[in-house]
Amino acid sequence: MAAAAPAPVAGHAHAVLRGRLCDPAFVHSCLRSSPDTNYSKLKYLVASSVSEACNNSVLLLGPRGCGKGAVLDMVLEDLRKEHPDAISVIRLNGMLHSDDNCATKEIARQLCLEHQLSFSKMASSDDNTEFMIDMLRECGLAHKTVIFVLEEFDLFAQGKQRLLYSLLDAMQSLTSQAVVIGMSCRLDADQLLEKRVRSRFSHRKLLFVPSSLDDIQRLMEHLLMLEKDSSLPTNYVTEYNSRLTSIFSNKKFKGVLDSLTDTDATTSNILRFLFRVVSYMDMESGLLSMECFTDALSSMQRQPKMDSLQDLSILELYILVCMNRLEDKEQKSYNFNTIIKEYKSIQDAYKTSDKYATTVCFRAFEHLLDRELITFADTKGRNVALEYRPVKLLISSRELAQSLNLNTTCPAVLQKLLDRERYM
Amino acid sequence: MAAAAQMEFSTPSKPTPRRKSKSVASPPPMSPATPSTVRRSSRLLETPAKDLSEAALFETPAKPKPKAVLFETPAKPKPAPTLKRKRAAPSPSPKTPTQTERKPKRQRRLPTNRVYYRKVVYDGGEFAAGDDVYIKRLEGEESDAEDPEAEDCRVCFRAGGGVMVECDACLGGFHLRCVRPPLRRVPEGDWACPYCKAEHEGRAMDRPKPPVGKKIKRTAKEKLLASDLWAARIESLRREPDGAFWAKVRWYTIPEETAAGRQPHNLRRELYRTNDVGDIEMETILRHCFVMSPKEFRDAANDGDDVFYCEYEYDIHWHNFKRLADIDDEPETKEDPSDEPYNAADDYNSDTDVDSEYDEEDEPAARCSARKNQSNEKILPANSWKGRIYGLQKIGIRKIPEHVRCHQKTALEKAKATLLLATLPKSLPCRDKEMEEISTFVKDAICNDHCLGRCLYIHGVPGTGKTMSVLAVMRRLRSEFDSGALRPYCFIEINGLKLASPENIYKVIYEQLSGHRVGWKKALHYLTQHFSDGKKIGKQANQPIVLLIDELDLLLTRNQSVLYNILDWPTKPNSNLVIIGIANTMDLPEKLLPRISSRMGIQRLCFGPYNYRQLQEIITSRLKGINAFEDQAIEFASRKVAAMSGDARRALEICRRAAEFADYRVKQFQQVEQTPSSANIGNGFVCMGDIEDAIQEVFQAPHIQVMKNCPKFGKVILAAMVHELYRSGLGEVLFDKLAATVFSWCHVNREILPGYDTLLKICCKLGESKIVLCEEGTKHKLQKLQLNYPSDDVTFALKESPDLPWLSKYL
Repeated sequence: MAAAAPAPVAGHAHAVLRGRLCDPAFVHSCLRSSPDTNYSKLKYLVASSVSEACNNSVLLLGPRGCGKGAVLDMVLEDLRKEHPDAISVIRLNGMLHSDDNCATKEIARQLCLEHQLSFSKMASSDDNTEFMIDMLRECGLAHKTVIFVLEEFDLFAQGKQRLLYSLLDAMQSLTSQAVVIGMSCRLDADQLLEKRVRSRFSHRKLLFVPSSLDDIQRLMEHLLMLEKDSSLPTNYVTEYNSRLTSIFSNKKFKGVLDSLTDTDATTSNILRFLFRVVSYMDMESGLLSMECFTDALSSMQRQPKMDSLQDLSILELYILVCMNRLEDKEQKSYNFNTIIKEYKSIQDAYKTSDKYATTVCFRAFEHLLDRELITFADTKGRNVALEYRPVKLLISSRELAQSLNLNTTCPAVLQKLLDRERYM
Repeated sequence: MAAAAQMEFSTPSKPTPRRKSKSVASPPPMSPATPSTVRRSSRLLETPAKDLSEAALFETPAKPKPKAVLFETPAKPKPAPTLKRKRAAPSPSPKTPTQTERKPKRQRRLPTNRVYYRKVVYDGGEFAAGDDVYIKRLEGEESDAEDPEAEDCRVCFRAGGGVMVECDACLGGFHLRCVRPPLRRVPEGDWACPYCKAEHEGRAMDRPKPPVGKKIKRTAKEKLLASDLWAARIESLRREPDGAFWAKVRWYTIPEETAAGRQPHNLRRELYRTNDVGDIEMETILRHCFVMSPKEFRDAANDGDDVFYCEYEYDIHWHNFKRLADIDDEPETKEDPSDEPYNAADDYNSDTDVDSEYDEEDEPAARCSARKNQSNEKILPANSWKGRIYGLQKIGIRKIPEHVRCHQKTALEKAKATLLLATLPKSLPCRDKEMEEISTFVKDAICNDHCLGRCLYIHGVPGTGKTMSVLAVMRRLRSEFDSGALRPYCFIEINGLKLASPENIYKVIYEQLSGHRVGWKKALHYLTQHFSDGKKIGKQANQPIVLLIDELDLLLTRNQSVLYNILDWPTKPNSNLVIIGIANTMDLPEKLLPRISSRMGIQRLCFGPYNYRQLQEIITSRLKGINAFEDQAIEFASRKVAAMSGDARRALEICRRAAEFADYRVKQFQQVEQTPSSANIGNGFVCMGDIEDAIQEVFQAPHIQVMKNCPKFGKVILAAMVHELYRSGLGEVLFDKLAATVFSWCHVNREILPGYDTLLKICCKLGESKIVLCEEGTKHKLQKLQLNYPSDDVTFALKESPDLPWLSKYL
């Protein structure tokens, strides 16, 4: 019985589901079986270079959040199990190690760590490079594969690319056994390589794309369905699963899913969504309902600028409307003084009660600047007083109109001003 | 330090600042604690009469007996190898009971294999890797097979019968009672015999002459110091397939045999460890000796006669010394023959040649057996060994993984292996003419006595075999040199991209010429002296130098001084320098300053891109004997590559990738079917389809795929962008305009309107993948967007998208 399900059971189920969502190995575990996935292709590539003692270089391309890193981690973990001691992994990140000297030092450090050698911070980059090449040769002789994982590969492809060159050149001239795996979200990452480096790169590319709608639905079932033989009570599990299947077959759920995937269908986005769904779970009954999904969706689709427009003061809205009017008048550049002039003319024409002094307006203007709803049009001008610097509106008139509509305290004259502007 | 104290004393020519012996009263602050001096003076040449096998081991007792008596020459179980030499039988035979091989690391699998041992008992002695031993000089094998363990007194010329002291200057032994005045007990501190003292003070004092007819028997120590014996450290022990035991040893050398000769500061018992490694038969090993580090030497009191001191390593190539403590604290760590980075390649090759007769897998396993027993307590950081590769071999300690050992390669896997860029092909087709030209150029330069202004500039696009051809020519010349047909020369290879900065090239050249590391400014100074002033450095001073600079264009600095300096050297009258520069651009000399281009641009060689026939020949020559590729497939691949770039690496990679595809297919198929049916068509062959896939992967950007898989609004944005760009005719579009278009389209086609911020997010995501180029998202509606790919590609990708049928009418 749903009502009878005690809170501890719900808490337990909650924890199980959250644990699953945070475990990339579980999320991608369904990839292992089928032969046509990137997982098995990558695994074949790396495994064959381990077992056949050859060098390879692979690029994993695809938008962020498509599971490049997760799949690679899975492959490496599996290979570690299959060939213990035959693999050592060196991980570099372009954000941290795009500088050549720093990267070679990091490689030397990780190699030392891996093989229990002592490491000196003081060694020069020549020493480190030499050490790396020696190590590559020794590892090759010992039939050990060194796997270099370069995250944010595009950032390594800056400057002279000395690191990539020496890595790839060592791979083609020595009896080394190494795999270079680059990960990048830039699709043209291999075009960034310099021609000598590109010629040495062995151009294997694996493309990761957002999954299709069917896959997503399957993934959701895989993640959310509870197993019968878990530690949870059986009647609770059946109740929970039946509720979930009814939600999945619901038409409304299809709509939710569509609007979710219309903007972003990557795996990480789905996981984020599901995490919110689970967090909205009713802790009394421990069941998921349709509302969980819709609430989660609306919390995913926040419009931060609309939100910040909602709680602006009337004066600030006046300023925004004035700026909008100025922009509609095709006035290329305007500053605070122009805005005040416009504001004064409106006040004179409509005689509203919202007439404030210039200093107050200036405070409101500064506040808008802080909230980044408006910005300076120029980048320099440090020694020009604030009120003389040209500014620009960062929100569109459409958003402004929408927020005025939603704002209950907004005087009617403001909306009229904006609407009139439209027709003029 | 003990060393310091002794050093001064053992310098007969130098006046010792302090009176010898009893120096307890005025010890220099650094002088050692008394134990060290005690050791010197009370040398107990004892060989206790133990049982035979023990005696052969020369176990040294830790403590001297309080009443020193013993001076018995051992009862001859001596290695005396000429008499008792026995070949170690492959299996322990009853006749040679001592020849048991203890702890063989692995069971012998094949009789033809080399077997490595950690410890071998040979001719009564137990030898382990890491031990120090005396080694006979074969030619100078003296007939006095007896090896006196005890030394005769220098006065009465009899051995035994009481405590003897050792003179610290001449290393001679004296009975306490024979010395005038007789000594009561072993003196503390340094002690010199009266004769040495007299010599030192300038008095004439005749040393006692030996009685007529009695020949002074020399101990092994004396023979060693007189260079009649060698000392070496055993690096590894092995048994050859024919049953003979061999050892790989690292030689020690006495100071007299170094280039510098004996220096005043050398101790009498000082040896240098060299970086020279040799293979010797075990039967030349005499017995153990003990070479110690300064610290051990100081602590080693009363350890017998065979104790030596070793503080420095001697580099036999460059004749320089390095303090061992700087390299590693314990001398057990091994060093490959390929010690120096400069001749690493040659040595390395020869090394593998030897081993390649044997099962390849044997090698690393062998290393492990030899090195298992080392313990590294304190070693220098691995990455600052300055090119030495000590101890890295311990990576190879693990046993050979199963997957390597018993893996039968299929035809496809063989094909993949030969197509690897790393495998050196047996022949280099299609570059005969160029190689001929390089070879004549280098030969001319070497044989000509006055090679003036010799510089060859080689250019060509990447992957056309420039470096490979030069290196092949140099290999050929080297073999010619080895056979004696050519004058000696020196070959230096430098890659511009591997230098940390262009100036470092001086450092590298200087190091390869002299073996020293100095800063680049100093190196430049020396090199200029070497080349223009004739002050030669290094021992191959007058040999012609062939300098190969790969990726020459990276040596460009702002004022181009590096290139100028380097290219200026060959023009000097007796520089004997030949430069071969390699770069990609054809007109590099023209881009340089005229004074450089006039020095470089005279002789050029162009490596044109390969045409499809050449590529085909390269691939087929590699794949000779392996039946894995369809002929058309190879032709197709080479035609494709020749049309695009003519890059041989690219062609090989494409073929390898295609082979991988085929292999993957076969393996998947096997997994499904379990029993591979050979009847399946084209299964084990690389066919056109595979090549096509590989080419697709290499040459095609994946953007169309990604665009097809974009989220719905991403597609709408892309389409709207194409539309806007087309309408405005500009290169870029403002986000504000774009959003307006998207909203109006969605409104017309009854789609849910996305939020403004959502659209912005999608734009940024597209920008991250570089499908569009965009400014940062903080600019909101003022963000400028640009397509990164031709709009036709976008149109093509979005034309028939199933979820947005209305989109095509806008495209």
